[in-house]
This record gives sequence, C-alpha cells and structure tokens, in this order.
Amino acid sequence: MPADTVSIMGIFDSENSAASAIDRLRETAWTIEQVHSPIPSHTIEDALEPPTSRVGWFTLVGGIIGFFGGFSLAAFTSLRWSLIVGGKPVVALVPWFIVGFEFTVLFAVFGNVLGLISQARLPRFETPPYYDERFSADRFGVLARCSADEQDELTRFFETNGAEINTDDKL
Amino acid sequence: MKIAYALIAAGFLIFIVVALVGNPARAWQAYLLNFLFFSAIAQGAVLFSALMHTVKARWSGPLSDVAESFAAFFPVSLILFVILFLGQQHVFPWLHEDLHGKEVWLNVPFMFGRDLFGLCLLYGFGLAFLYHRLYFTLKDRGASGPFGSWLLARWDQHPPDEARLASRMTVFGILYLLAFALVLSLVGYDLVMATDPHWYSTLFGAYTFVKAIFIGFGALIVLSSLLHLSDRNGYHVEENQFHDIGKLFFAFCLVWADFFYAQFVVIWYGNIPEETAYVIERTMAAPWNVLAWTVFIGCFLAPFLILLNRRIKTRPKAMTVICLAVMTGIWLEHYLLLGPAFHHDAQSIPLGWVEAAVGIGFLGLLAAAVISYFQQFPELLHGGDVNRLKVETIHN
Repeated sequence: MPADTVSIMGIFDSENSAASAIDRLRETAWTIEQVHSPIPSHTIEDALEPPTSRVGWFTLVGGIIGFFGGFSLAAFTSLRWSLIVGGKPVVALVPWFIVGFEFTVLFAVFGNVLGLISQARLPRFETPPYYDERFSADRFGVLARCSADEQDELTRFFETNGAEINTDDKL
Repeated sequence: MKIAYALIAAGFLIFIVVALVGNPARAWQAYLLNFLFFSAIAQGAVLFSALMHTVKARWSGPLSDVAESFAAFFPVSLILFVILFLGQQHVFPWLHEDLHGKEVWLNVPFMFGRDLFGLCLLYGFGLAFLYHRLYFTLKDRGASGPFGSWLLARWDQHPPDEARLASRMTVFGILYLLAFALVLSLVGYDLVMATDPHWYSTLFGAYTFVKAIFIGFGALIVLSSLLHLSDRNGYHVEENQFHDIGKLFFAFCLVWADFFYAQFVVIWYGNIPEETAYVIERTMAAPWNVLAWTVFIGCFLAPFLILLNRRIKTRPKAMTVICLAVMTGIWLEHYLLLGPAFHHDAQSIPLGWVEAAVGIGFLGLLAAAVISYFQQFPELLHGGDVNRLKVETIHN
C-alpha cells in the first residue's frame, strides 16, 4: 500500500445502506478496494457493476471438451472389441450421443467449479486486512482508500451514510 | 384489427375455394395442421399464467397479463374443432383401413366425442381460472373496456368472498395444468399419431404437450416483445423478465428435443419394423428427410447455440426473430408428422401455398382474438403488478 494513502473500512448493518454508500463512493475520487457481504446480494452487485465474470467461459470449454471426450471414450472402448450386436454399427452415433451429453454436463460442472475457484482466487489462507468477523454474520463492509489528508473526510462520509468505522489494520 | 380481419377473410376464402372446387383433401389437411398448431400456441401461452400462479412466481407479472390474452382463442379453437367434423373424410386416413381391432378406440363418434369433451374441459378450466384472476387484476387497476366494466359492476353489486375466490383460482389453475397434459396428449394421439394407425409411441402424448408449451412460450415472447417495443401503449417488460422468460424458452427447447430423442433412441435400439417405419419415412428417406433436418436445425441446434448467449435473451427484437423462426420450424414439424400419412409415395415435399394461406387465415383468427381481448381489458397493458402478496395473504 502506498504510504500516502489510507484505507478505511465502513461497517454497515443493512444491505441497502451499504449499496447506497457504494453508489455514492463511486461518484467520488476515492476507490473501493473490497466489499464484504454475509449474503450473495444483487443489490450490492448492481451498485458495484463489476466486469462480466469469466466463469461462463470455463463452463463452456469444459462442456465442449466433455462432449467430444465422452463420445471418443465410447468409440474407443467399442473399437477395442469390434463386436457387432443386432446389426448396429460398432461406432454408433445415436446411443453415444447420450454418453457425450452426460460427459458434457459432468465436464461443464468441473469447468464451472475450476473457473469459480481460479477466478475467485481461492483458496485464501490469510484473512484480508480490516476484516471483521461480523461480515460472516450480519454486517456489510466497504473498504475504501483515500489519500492521507482526506482521511477525516472519508470517515465523515462513512458516518453520514450510517456506518461504523474500522481503521486499525489487524494484520 | 382490420389487418387481422383481412387475413381471416383471405385464408377463409382460399380454404373454401380449394375445399369446394380444387383439392378438398389438401384443404382439410392444411386445416387440421393449422388447427393443431394455433390451438397449441393458445393453450401453451395460457399455461404460462396458470403455472406462474401455481408456483407463486413473483417475477412474471406483465408477462402473465399478456399470456392470458391468448385465452380469447379458446372459444374460436373449440368452434374450429367442431368444423373439423365436416372434413373427417380427408383428415382421418384410418377411416378407409382395416384397423385389426383398433376400431373400438378409433371410430369417429367416440373420437370426436372424447376430444370435444376434453377440449371443453381444458378450455373451461382455463377460462374459469382467468375469470378468478381477472377479479383481482380489475379490482386493482379498474376497468375501462366494455366487458371489463360489466364484470366489475357485477362484482361491485354482489361482492364475492375474496378468500374463496383466491383459493378457487389456485384450484382452477392446477386443474388447467393437469387437463393440459391429459387433453393435449389425447389430441396428439387421436389427431396426429392415429393418422398412421398401425404405429404407436407411448411418449407421443407427452411430446405433444411439451411442444405446445415450447411454442406457447415462444408466442408469448413474441407478443410481449411487440407490445413492449410499440409506443402506442404503456406496456413495459423489465430486462430481467425478458431474460427469465428467455431462459424458460431455452429450457423447453431442450425438453422438446429430449422428448424426441428419448423416443427415437428406444425405437433405434429395438429396431422393430413396425416402429421404425414411421421414423425412417420421416427422418431418413427422401423427400421428408430434408424437412426433418430443417426442423432439427431450426428448432433445436440453431436456437440452442444462439440462446446459450446471455445477452441475446434480454433483447426483445432478437428474441422475436428467434421465436418466430422456431415457431415456423414447429409448424413444419407438424407438417412432417402429418404429411407422409396423407401423401404416400411423395416424390417431393407437397408443401405449398394452400397450407401457407390457411395458416395465414388462422394467424388472423388468433390475432383478432388477442386484439379483441385487449380491447375488452385495456388495463392489462397499463403495467402494475397484480398484488400477489395480497392474493396470497387472502389465500392463506
């Protein structure tokens, strides 16, 4: 963290007050570093307007790999012993489409989980600075950074928006 | 409205001329095709409203309002079914065949009787559900149309018990859902599957009603998009509502393909001639295989790949185009199911202007029914949610 800036955590007790504080913060020159929420919140997401998530691409790639992988697996295992049953072709498209489909679902899920883990930069073994245990219970946190001489102003901003202040870095 | 009347007149005129002096078989077969297609649209769209009410959905307000307007086609559809009686010689190929014992089930009086009864039941439940729902809608928003104000005046004179009304609405909604599955299955078996009386598929009924939901939701998206885009009314649908109905449409695209495949794969494995003949004639042999691939690509492959995209589902213009294309595809699919039974040994697909003209006439009928519904209840376009919380509190 550059020496001439400070980070201040505002702790809100409602989703809406956190979201409206984020809205107002975005109009100022201060930057929002982190937002903590005990629940998945669309209101806060709408206020933050984060860039589109890339997790979907992981899912898509996983699904495509799964489809061809499943199809190839079925074809490969059948070709190991080319036994013709009931006049059906050894490499039959109709039933193996089902294998392909199931693998699409499976690998899309794998891709999705991998995407989620990598994009959310999990696992995290260190507690982020300024973290308050209540963010896992009933409080919302907004961490904002400002230059050192604006510290009072930002504190006042948070307080007028109904937040508690936490400035001491526990780590 | 004038355009709708013109379409009806044109379609009707061409149908009469072809039926009387040209090729009556062809005219009646086109009639059957379009009756099935447009009735399924109306039934499937109304299903949306009943379904959303039954599961206590809160996101679907303005979409449900529009979905209900398709109920105006119910009486028309019932009359059209009765008229079909006149053309029975041309639309039931089994009349001239030896049915080997199936005549107990497949005979004209019993078949018309049970289908008419089923449709009356289905439409009765649908309209009863609608009546109860209109009470809460009109109470909330007032009524300015002639029929709407008549209803409201009646309710003002004899105020009904709201708690009973609310619980009855739910009962009728659920009854409509059940009747939808049963009656559409019956219609599918009797009017479509029986055209080839020696072939049977136990899944055909379910396939028929899933298809009806698919095109019903498609028609709902088209109509609400057009109303949303038009400046002449206050109708408005939120972006996330378009997104959600788009997802539902996408889901039923998959369900439709899944029901086809679930039947296809069993027939493929069993490889019994009396089962495979039907499928081979329609999907592998010329000339119908071209149509089968068109339907498969147009109704499943293309929409599947396009609708994976999240953003396109929130764009009413794009969704209108996609839904219209899919509905055209399902119209062709109806033709694919019926056509080979009527035209044995066809060298080329006998699809022409007669089918299209009759289809346009039916489209006119559907449009006229929907427009006249909105003339009776203009407040359905003026936004505002039915106060669902209120209905639920009364109900509980």
